[in-house]
Amino acid sequence: MATLELSEISVRFGGLQALTDVSFCVREGDIVGLIGPNGAGKTTVFNVITGVYQTSAGQVRYDGTPLRALRPHKILALGVARTFQNIRLFQNMTALENVMVAQHCRTRVGVLGAVLRLPSQKREEERIRQRSLEALEFMDLGEFAGELASNMAYGLQRRLEIARALATEPKTILLDEPAAGLNPAESRDLMHTIGRISELGINILMVEHDMKVVMGICRHIVVLDHGVMIAEGKPEEIQRDPRVIEAYLGNELN
Amino acid sequence: MEFFLQQLVNGITLGGVYALVALGYTMVYGIIQLINFAHGEIYAAGGYMGVILISWLFAQGFPPFVCLGAALVLAMGYCALLAMAVEKLAYQPLRQSSRLSVLLSALGMSIFLQNGLMLTQGVYDRAYPTEMVQGGFELGTVMISYMQCIIVGVTALLLVALNVLVYKTRIGKAMRATAQDKTMSALVGINSSRIISLTFAIGAGLAAAAGIMVGLYYGSVRYDMGFVPGIKAFSAAVLGGIGNITGAMLGGLLIGMIEVFAAGYISSEYKDVFAFIILIAVLYFMPTGIMGENVDDTRV
Amino acid sequence: MKRALYLLSVLLLASFVVAGCGKKDEKAADAAKAGIKIGSLGPLTGQYAADGNDIKNGVLAAIEVMNPEMGALGPVTLQAEDDACDPRQAVAAANKLINEKATAVIGAYCSSATIPASEPLIAAKIFMITPASTNEKVTERGMPYMFRTCGRDDDQSKAAVKFMTDQLKAKNVYIVDDKTTYSQGLADNVEKLAGGAGLKVLGHEHVNQGDKDYSAVLTKVKAAKPDVFYVSLQNSASAAPMLIQIARMGIKTHILAQDAVYHPQLMELAKKDAEGVFLTFGYTDKETPSYKKFAAAYKKYGEPGAYSAYSYDSTVAYLKAVKAAGSTDPEKVKAELMKLEFDGASKHIKYKENGDSGSNYVIQVVKDGKFTNYWNPETGELFK
Repeated sequence: MATLELSEISVRFGGLQALTDVSFCVREGDIVGLIGPNGAGKTTVFNVITGVYQTSAGQVRYDGTPLRALRPHKILALGVARTFQNIRLFQNMTALENVMVAQHCRTRVGVLGAVLRLPSQKREEERIRQRSLEALEFMDLGEFAGELASNMAYGLQRRLEIARALATEPKTILLDEPAAGLNPAESRDLMHTIGRISELGINILMVEHDMKVVMGICRHIVVLDHGVMIAEGKPEEIQRDPRVIEAYLGNELN
Repeated sequence: MEFFLQQLVNGITLGGVYALVALGYTMVYGIIQLINFAHGEIYAAGGYMGVILISWLFAQGFPPFVCLGAALVLAMGYCALLAMAVEKLAYQPLRQSSRLSVLLSALGMSIFLQNGLMLTQGVYDRAYPTEMVQGGFELGTVMISYMQCIIVGVTALLLVALNVLVYKTRIGKAMRATAQDKTMSALVGINSSRIISLTFAIGAGLAAAAGIMVGLYYGSVRYDMGFVPGIKAFSAAVLGGIGNITGAMLGGLLIGMIEVFAAGYISSEYKDVFAFIILIAVLYFMPTGIMGENVDDTRV
Repeated sequence: MKRALYLLSVLLLASFVVAGCGKKDEKAADAAKAGIKIGSLGPLTGQYAADGNDIKNGVLAAIEVMNPEMGALGPVTLQAEDDACDPRQAVAAANKLINEKATAVIGAYCSSATIPASEPLIAAKIFMITPASTNEKVTERGMPYMFRTCGRDDDQSKAAVKFMTDQLKAKNVYIVDDKTTYSQGLADNVEKLAGGAGLKVLGHEHVNQGDKDYSAVLTKVKAAKPDVFYVSLQNSASAAPMLIQIARMGIKTHILAQDAVYHPQLMELAKKDAEGVFLTFGYTDKETPSYKKFAAAYKKYGEPGAYSAYSYDSTVAYLKAVKAAGSTDPEKVKAELMKLEFDGASKHIKYKENGDSGSNYVIQVVKDGKFTNYWNPETGELFK
């Protein structure tokens, strides 16, 4: 059974065709890599899945539910979380608050309860706190809970973004270049972490430039070029695919 | 010294009211970059709701604190709903349009609400039962009226409540997150429409409370009472750093103080001039206000 | 759910207009054809709305009383214009009344609106009779069709200073005004006259029109401990918060105000804090037959304000002159108006060459929630 299914997605911005007939699936337990040269439309795919962009044609389904008309927070509530290529943390909040805010859709108490500090609100607040601390621990960020996001080192901010996405209790997580800007040691840690996330039963779709990371952990790879899917398959198949090689190294071959 | 202290007390009272109104401007601006021109009218509507409720409750023989408390709660609730309605009908449909369209819509709303108040409530001043809270006490040589105590007390209470809400609860976190980055907060599961609506409601509630206290303090309300304090409160928000909640509180207090001290030590007729000179001077050296701006300027 | 929310929103906003729709549109009643069209000019909206409406209502009452007498010249109709006490809007309203072929305009309220509005009106040979603008300049510009039924500020300030020195035995005074042609003119006059009368001016402060917070000024006044606090404000809605704050600050001194604050609204808003306030006001004997006739006609508009009777008299005077002239020809009407002499509701009316009708200021005091005659500067004696 497919969890996340894209069928013949096209996106057009004015005269620019950003995506053309893109179709692939992220299945239960999958770690899917989405690769392609710059401007291939990888982030656009993420924006379509999470409801930031509307498709011009085609359908995205999650567990059979069409996502087309849903606003981003509803899609998240269904269990699809994401991180950003250029880190988008809430810079004026602490690490813990960044994670806590991500549990908004999983909690209930209203404004009045919050202002009056009703017991139900206090209990809920405590529960959110516990879970957020767990998410931070999971990403080895426990000791930075009270740190302002803007004061954290780059590598830590990357991990915090993932922690925040995990705190939304997703079933599928979209990682946009999680290894960008990391040193080799941090990249190795990251691969390990992604493995652990997968072990939690969360499906992963990631965009990544670092081929070591992609080839090391992805079980399935989709290749985009100029908005068109040019290949799909296991890592070793992709590495040999002439179209992929051409897309990446095109000029040198000619 | 006595003169100074007396003016200080007056300045805190006036500044507290500006702060309450300024918060609505700053919170809305912080979240959708809109100068909500209709905010002053919401404040006036609060003042009117207050006079209607307090006069009636007081005439029924309820004790003053019950009248005031009930009127505050009901008027704040009413204005919160009113502001949400304004947002839903006049601003939300324009969420994707240029900022100028929304600004014009806000101006239109302001005119609509002011004229609505004039039509339904008349052009005359409406008297508050000022006899409800009378007298005061002398602290040394400084005269403090009970009304001033109530204003300062209620203002402080509301400001603390707002701080708790914004900094200690999940809803507050969602509001701060939405103000910083609407797209991202939607992607971590926050319903930004709801949070925007809520922001309008909270700002309106505070303005309504300010409207009631101003009505009680000066003894009357009039349909056009929202205009001048609206401009001053907006200046206060800019002075403190637009989008910044602490800034709005500080800015409100400062504008109140400057006005009172300029009137006290220089001249009453130039008090507004001084308030605006200081505003310009601060913005010249600190373009983002005293506490710094806090506005979502990220784009998808 | 969504639809319900929208519906609720619409309902909430509708609450702002629904109550207003029930009100009768007064314009509809005014829309008659031929006859005499009188314009009224005054602030029908804004902070001076109460006074502007008094003027309009005074004209309406007079039209009702005079209409049966006008015969073939009638009917008399009113076109009420709003100047919001703003010089620009006043000129625009005056031009509108010229276009609408009004032959006389009763108004305006603020001297600062009357003076600019009079220019186009008088040029178009339309009578302008002000029931309320007391600034001297109104009638001192040699305008042939400019008349004034109320008194003048120079006379009013004389009465004020005389009261302070002779009756209150004051040695010093603190003055505050709100910078309108009227209020500052009056305050400046008092300051000028005070020197000659041996009255020391401890301070003269200006506040902004429409201000509601006077705490800073009042703190100064409290420290100065004057014998009299002379408060010159444009109207009762500004004066009421002043009185409330004076009481709240615990300032105990004589307070002297002027005709502009004469309005039942003052007591309504300031309640017991208005008690004991003195004001200079044109003397009106409320026991005369003409006052009673006016009071009966005015009843449906509520309690008469400061200028209701003056406005009524201004209208009656014009209509009497028209009747005598047998037409609305400006030259003929002017000749009749200059000859006219009658007992009006407010006072005995006889226009002088410059258009003034004389001042008869007395001191009133607010007592038991009513304006009561207190002291007569002519005789230097208290009223009984």
